[in-house]
Amino acid sequence: MRAPIGFRISNRRKLLGLSQASLARVVGISPSYLNLIENNKRDIGGALLNRVAAQLDIDVDELAGRTEQKLLQDLEEAFADPVVESLPFRPEERRELVAQYPASAAALARLHRAYTDAVSNADAYADRLRSDPLLSQLLHQILSGVTAIRSSAEILEDVADLDDAERQRFLSSIRRETLTLSDVARNLIGQFDTSSEISRNVSPAREIDDLIIERQNYFPLLEDAADTLRQEIARTGPFNVATLSTVLEARFGVAVDFGGPPDEPDFPGQYRFDAASRRMWFQGTATLATRQFQLARLYGELAAADAIAATLHSAVLSTPTARRLASRAVGSYLAGAMVFPYERMLADAEASAYDIDHLRQVYNASFEQVAHRLVTLRRPGQEGVPFGFLRSDPAGRLTKHFPLPGLLLPNSGHACPLWAIYGAFRMPDAPLRQVVRFSDGSRYLFLARTVQRRTAAFREQIVSSSVMLACDVLHADRTIYASGLDLDDLSTDIPVGPSCRLCTRRDCASRQEETLSPDIGASRTRAPLLPAAFALGDAP
Amino acid sequence: MAIDILIAEDEPSILESLDFILRRAGYTIGAVTDGDAVLDAVRRLAPRLVVLDVMLPKRSGFDVLKQIRANVELRGMPVLILTAKGQQQDRRTAEELGADGFVTKPYANADVVGAVRQLLAGHGGAA
Repeated sequence: MRAPIGFRISNRRKLLGLSQASLARVVGISPSYLNLIENNKRDIGGALLNRVAAQLDIDVDELAGRTEQKLLQDLEEAFADPVVESLPFRPEERRELVAQYPASAAALARLHRAYTDAVSNADAYADRLRSDPLLSQLLHQILSGVTAIRSSAEILEDVADLDDAERQRFLSSIRRETLTLSDVARNLIGQFDTSSEISRNVSPAREIDDLIIERQNYFPLLEDAADTLRQEIARTGPFNVATLSTVLEARFGVAVDFGGPPDEPDFPGQYRFDAASRRMWFQGTATLATRQFQLARLYGELAAADAIAATLHSAVLSTPTARRLASRAVGSYLAGAMVFPYERMLADAEASAYDIDHLRQVYNASFEQVAHRLVTLRRPGQEGVPFGFLRSDPAGRLTKHFPLPGLLLPNSGHACPLWAIYGAFRMPDAPLRQVVRFSDGSRYLFLARTVQRRTAAFREQIVSSSVMLACDVLHADRTIYASGLDLDDLSTDIPVGPSCRLCTRRDCASRQEETLSPDIGASRTRAPLLPAAFALGDAP
Repeated sequence: MAIDILIAEDEPSILESLDFILRRAGYTIGAVTDGDAVLDAVRRLAPRLVVLDVMLPKRSGFDVLKQIRANVELRGMPVLILTAKGQQQDRRTAEELGADGFVTKPYANADVVGAVRQLLAGHGGAA
């Protein structure tokens, strides 16, 4: 699934009327090497790509095809939708659409996104109606009221010999129930007003994804702010929990407490900042990594509110919830940049071949914190190994993702069940690596591990999730996770797909849903898992 | 002090009208307003039939029905269940637990009286 970047370089060069030799000379490589690049036989990235882009007077992202790649992936998802999948698409249709009519392609992708959001809204509503205890209670009240009114009215109507006291009793009964019903109706209306507000919050995660993808998960403003904050903190002492507590107290009057009960009796989290009482509370079992990271985040959010606001300013975030979640994501980024200063982190990562456990002990950090920071090492001219990042809950639902250009990571729902991110749950707390191959031949190294919160009582349920880093096999040899593996030996690759619907492998024992691809013939040995076609969108 | 019908219903207005129409139909009536009180009242008042609402405070109508059917002395007691419209599952559950009849809220008074007559006739002795 790698973008044919060489073709784009070649096209652009020809458009500008440059010869291969002259471009090679100005970017400082041999013409034969440029020829290999243009024929997609050599990878290009980093400083060289920047030089080529500059010489060709074109944006690096455009040249690398990242924008286009993302659009293509969005279209893959849209075309895989059961509503349209049975249409007779030609094999190259998506690619051509993106190349020739990018705006129309973007329109399709956006409409599909809006459609899936609307569908999940509808699902959320249906779930609410089925399971909402308040709604069923209101319904019960309505039925009771109607029953009493109907029964009393029938008595008044049918019984000729009612005495005055009895008549009065049933009239009052009707009056009383009518008042109750009016209250119930008001409640019900209020309930639906609230529901419609809540349901608009289905998509903020998507909006934040867009923000992160648009900036390639690198935010220079936040990096600068983090550097400044680190220097401030260093004047008080070494960067650790004690110093962070001291500076929070001195500069913001925040008291930090470890252990003891939370302010809110039923609070389920491990830490909580109460802005009113200026108190930061941590569960006594919270790890050092959690304490350090969350204190850094709090200090960052209080001290660099401007940088956070400026970062969010230009983003298209449509709801208060999206803004709140984005501000939280940006706060995490800032904390990550404080805990792992960019240049030192990059140097340590390179020196240790991206050994996450080693980096954890150097920085007193958690697996997820390190993995998250590695994904952000995208400073132009000082890039680390490009990683994608995924997190899944034990039900398989993807809860966080940072995409890697070229690799199709599902936006939501489930990925391929063969991925290490799921395998890791079978071996909790142990890193699991795998070399995977997609049906188009692209290969990636996956590294996954489960992470879990410490519990504070025997009765408490364990909250665990699995975190996975993905990197192109081309870069994998720069990481410790490729050591001992023969990356040139394709025979042990694990054949995977992005998710069943987007995967073309017919012979997979793990398949749970039919593939979308119309050009793949039906299996001789397996009956379809789903009806081959749906009514909507069928060709006439 | 044996009675004809024990009503277990927590909504006062419904209880009042049920009490009225069943008395007018010629039955003697006793009433309780929560699930915990039913079994004791059945033993004490020895009714010929129980009209049991599903949604009762403290102990649900299902629980009460299960208790009645599990009790050697009481298991033959005819039970008429009041369910709410749209709650098909409630009706199936009550059937599985051995309910003898159903009336769905909101009901017409004649439906209740008719169901009671039928059950009592089926269990020997008309009113």
